[in-house]
Amino acid sequence: MSFQTPPWRLTVILLFATSVTPRSIAQQTAVSTDAVQVIGMTGVKNNSKGRLEITEGTLSFKSAKNSATVSVGCIDDVVTGRDSERVLRGPVGTDSMLAPYGGGGALSLMRTKLETITIKYRDSKGGLHGAIFTMHPGEAEAAKQALLAQGARTSIPASIGSDSSARPQSEEKEQSW
Amino acid sequence: MVKRIKNMFGLFLTISVSGFMSLLCAQSTPVAKVDTPAIEVKMIQAGEIALPAEFQVALYENLIQEFEKENAFSQVFRDGDRDAAKASDVFSLYATVTKFKQGSELERDVTTVGGSTLITVRCQFKAKDGAVLLERDIQGKVRLIGDNLKATNDFAKKAAQITPQSLSAEAASSVATVPEAYYSPGPGW
Repeated sequence: MSFQTPPWRLTVILLFATSVTPRSIAQQTAVSTDAVQVIGMTGVKNNSKGRLEITEGTLSFKSAKNSATVSVGCIDDVVTGRDSERVLRGPVGTDSMLAPYGGGGALSLMRTKLETITIKYRDSKGGLHGAIFTMHPGEAEAAKQALLAQGARTSIPASIGSDSSARPQSEEKEQSW
Repeated sequence: MVKRIKNMFGLFLTISVSGFMSLLCAQSTPVAKVDTPAIEVKMIQAGEIALPAEFQVALYENLIQEFEKENAFSQVFRDGDRDAAKASDVFSLYATVTKFKQGSELERDVTTVGGSTLITVRCQFKAKDGAVLLERDIQGKVRLIGDNLKATNDFAKKAAQITPQSLSAEAASSVATVPEAYYSPGPGW
């Protein structure tokens, strides 16, 4: 039994592959999402909200006041994780804890899930930096894939599902709440 | 009239001399800072502890920020900075996490007694020749208000209290004391 593919079919397959592949890579590599820069980006205040963009070999974070850029090639490690946070945060969240009849504790039950992406990178002098971003669920893994596609390295190449298995039990407990 | 002019001249002279002296003092301040050693903060090592990456990075970045805020060292170098190797008077801080308990913000909010996050980090301050000047266990914790990463900030604030003077004092006292004394955490740590 022999498998002979007609030439016209091969041509169609090749044409389809060449037309689809570049677009899918381009879709994977460019990421733009809302994020909170927890710590680490030089010149950006801690816990500032902004836009995280990964395009053309650079990771940039733009907040309302400042912005910072890192070359993706300088990124030594990208790790994602999961967490949750109170819906009411900041001074309002702190004040709400004083609500009577256990109302503060009840308000704490209102939580939003979020994902974290942690990067380690080196500056022009060789100094090691680290930065942490939090973002909406599902976006950290896309950002990680975009960084890896553009030349960043990672110590944990697997997806987020297996990523969390290396994490402590207590965090799993917190995530489930 | 002549007396008045003399008085004015005297006043002018006094002001100009005091201005000149203050200028001299302002210029002499950076010269004094040259003698102050720099510090190179090495990346936090997790050891055998399963430490999430965000905690490792937050510990490291908070340490650098707090040392820069305290301004006790002439310069704060990051791990791997080539300028640190060139500098003559640099201390290195090696930190290894020895204990880690990740709590829960929700549990803290609801119970107010449980769910605390605790991190214990063994900090070794070394001279350029590798001699250990000070070794101390420093704890970071968040017991009630704040997210889990706040424990890293608590640790960094405590660690940044160590100054070149305290390191020199420890190095001097080490000649007289038994080395095991370094391993016992001091009061408040």
